[in-house]
Amino acid sequence: MQAALLEPRARVKLDDYIVDVAWSPDSRALAAIGGEGRVALAQLTGESLTARTLGEHAMGALAVSWQPRSVSAPGDRFATSGQDGALVLWSAADGSELRRWRPAIAATEHVAFRPDGTSLASAAGRTVTLWSATGEKLHELPAAPATVAALAWDKTGRDLAAAVNGGLVMHRFEGPQPTRRLLKWDGAALTVAFSPNGRAVAAGMQDGSVHFWYLATGRDSQMRGYPGRVTQVVWSHNGRYLATGALDTVVIWDFGGKGPEGTRPLQLRGHTDRIETMAFQPAGPYLLTGGRDWRVSLWLPGKATAALDAHLAGAAISAIRWAPDNRHVAVGECEGMLTIYELVAVGR
Amino acid sequence: MTSRDRIPVTVLTGFLGSGKTTLLNRILSENHGKRIAVIENEFGEVGVDHQLVIGAEEELFETNNGCICCTVRGDLLRILGQLLKRRDRFDYVMIETTGMADPGPVAQTFFLDDDFRNQFVLDAIVTVIDARHIEEHLDRMQEPKEQAAFADVILLNKIDLVAPADLERIERRLRAINGTAKIFRTRNCDVPIDKVLNVGAFDLGRALAVDGAFLEPEYPFEWAGLYELAAGRYTLRTGAEAHAHHAHGHEGRACHDHDHGHAHDHAAGLAIALLPAGGATPEALAAQIEPAVRVFAEDGVRVDCGGVVQAGAGLARIDVGHDGSQFELVVTQPGPYALFCEHAPAEFNLRIDGLQPVAERAFASHHHDDEIASIGLSDPRPLDPKKVNDWLSYLLQSRGADIFRMKGVLNLRGEDRRYVFHGVHMMFDGQLERPWGGAPRQNSLVFIGRKLDRQELEAGFHSCLA
Repeated sequence: MQAALLEPRARVKLDDYIVDVAWSPDSRALAAIGGEGRVALAQLTGESLTARTLGEHAMGALAVSWQPRSVSAPGDRFATSGQDGALVLWSAADGSELRRWRPAIAATEHVAFRPDGTSLASAAGRTVTLWSATGEKLHELPAAPATVAALAWDKTGRDLAAAVNGGLVMHRFEGPQPTRRLLKWDGAALTVAFSPNGRAVAAGMQDGSVHFWYLATGRDSQMRGYPGRVTQVVWSHNGRYLATGALDTVVIWDFGGKGPEGTRPLQLRGHTDRIETMAFQPAGPYLLTGGRDWRVSLWLPGKATAALDAHLAGAAISAIRWAPDNRHVAVGECEGMLTIYELVAVGR
Repeated sequence: MTSRDRIPVTVLTGFLGSGKTTLLNRILSENHGKRIAVIENEFGEVGVDHQLVIGAEEELFETNNGCICCTVRGDLLRILGQLLKRRDRFDYVMIETTGMADPGPVAQTFFLDDDFRNQFVLDAIVTVIDARHIEEHLDRMQEPKEQAAFADVILLNKIDLVAPADLERIERRLRAINGTAKIFRTRNCDVPIDKVLNVGAFDLGRALAVDGAFLEPEYPFEWAGLYELAAGRYTLRTGAEAHAHHAHGHEGRACHDHDHGHAHDHAAGLAIALLPAGGATPEALAAQIEPAVRVFAEDGVRVDCGGVVQAGAGLARIDVGHDGSQFELVVTQPGPYALFCEHAPAEFNLRIDGLQPVAERAFASHHHDDEIASIGLSDPRPLDPKKVNDWLSYLLQSRGADIFRMKGVLNLRGEDRRYVFHGVHMMFDGQLERPWGGAPRQNSLVFIGRKLDRQELEAGFHSCLA
């Protein structure tokens, strides 16, 4: 069995509740957004982490997404959105605002760059909009049947899913005009994620279940029995495992073989309070979870149900994001500490 | 997190134009030292810049086959979750619902979700009512009834636009719907802030206030007055000048039907009875209550405008279908008489020319004209804890959708402390609280809901007696 530990490398304190962070493609910089509205840019140099505040979203920042690097995108900017309704594109080079605009009166709650970095989706209320990487409106999609609770792109950037009360709204970007279909389910979807192998899309539901659809056939399935609303669904890099979280419970479904139907899931034990965030390694088997119990836990799903390593932070954990280098991890706390850990293999 | 850290939440309901926003703006602009976050469902009306105001679209999450008891407000879950990320900036939350909102799912949001229960505590549901339009709304729609039924605090607002007699009638009707809400009469939502914030209506630790009058037995009359009458003829009048400035615009019509829709059956006449009393004292009046109940069980005699009412002759149903009716009151035996009246005299401007009552008394109104109503039970006898548990569980299971609110203080056998409970639909919370000490032990229960059956509730309660 592979074994690994997390080692803290660097930290910096931001004066805000860390709502989320996003890594730069080179894994050297991070954008962090705060509950009070702060937008900060942190630089990781060796074992030193420095951060400076770039600006803010009045009444709170809600989402951040860094532009992926590709043949058609430089990966040199990131987008934030907030309670003020605004969308802002920030330059990674000098931290300046490339563009700030306000597509909605109410909060713009979600923002997500397309995997090729050429465009950006945002959601405010029922409205989903696709923008160019410079902020020009490309498509305003038909209003969703309910407020969009989460947005997710598939790995190829062809499909964009919006989680709503009533299922998933699937937007397909092929050809000149986007098309749309609904994956209906009588319940409120809170979060959504595509499996990286393109087989399925999974949603965490308000009613304490996970619902998923096989994309090839449209067949859907439901996994119930959670102690509360399912606020986390994340896939392992190869689509084998789906990690899900509700309150203090982490449940792993195995999509290998015939699929999870009729199987018993693995339950990972260790958190004693609500899980706020979880993330699978981008190109490896490890899973990280963080909770209101101040705990960051490292897991190897499929191999062990006990944590390989755990760190007690100084406050509730609010965000965990793996760096694209597959090695570094950013952990944000609700009292503003941002810590960079490194995943270190240990002897057999 | 301990419970004392929980952020109190006030839910503000009421129709568009009732004065909700006036109240909200008053609360926000008053210097009370509280930092208040506002979740607004009707945009752009709150005019205070420095406060945290968040707009939202009401969204219902039905979690279990559409059962109303399991429905929560998804927008609140999302926005309050976001608000928690800025805790040091506010210490109170106000939620303004849209005019047509059902307060049930709002309240349930704070009960159903374990996570939320630890973070927020529902302080009170405050309903603002436009006194001028509420009767019309109550007659035509369900929402205002539900909003009144769920309320812990009712602001009966814009009272300056309504005649006093109408106000009495409105308040009685609201009281029949909701027997426990505190009702404040206001012109411009001018109520002290501490009457609407930090009310602690869902705090079992604070004494549950159940209006004593509401728990009185039901009487078929709402008012009695004692008069000293000499033998002879008097004139009994209704209507006329009190209606001259009536807010409904009836001026200029000599006789008209009461077409503004309140639910008394005027065609049957106003039931009155003049009973000879043993003296001219409040006690003598009280002594006539039981005989009056028997008299009011009679069919009565219909008396048209201009007809004769005989003192001491049983139940008369006088015609009040026209403004300015008058009747001849004939007294054969002189002495004190108790006049019992089906409705408060102010409502019809009922009076005897040249006479004032030497004593009078109002009785709680229990006319359940509306489908949604309150039922109060009161009984000093101790209850069996197991049976109470079974009964309340059964009620929640079988009638939860129709019981909007329930509250109670129970005298349990073998228990020195009061058992206090409350519920919203199927959500239930109960615990042992203060000792009875020297206070008289008493069970007091109130149910507010739709199509409640008093006999059924009484039978259930009696099955719990130890």
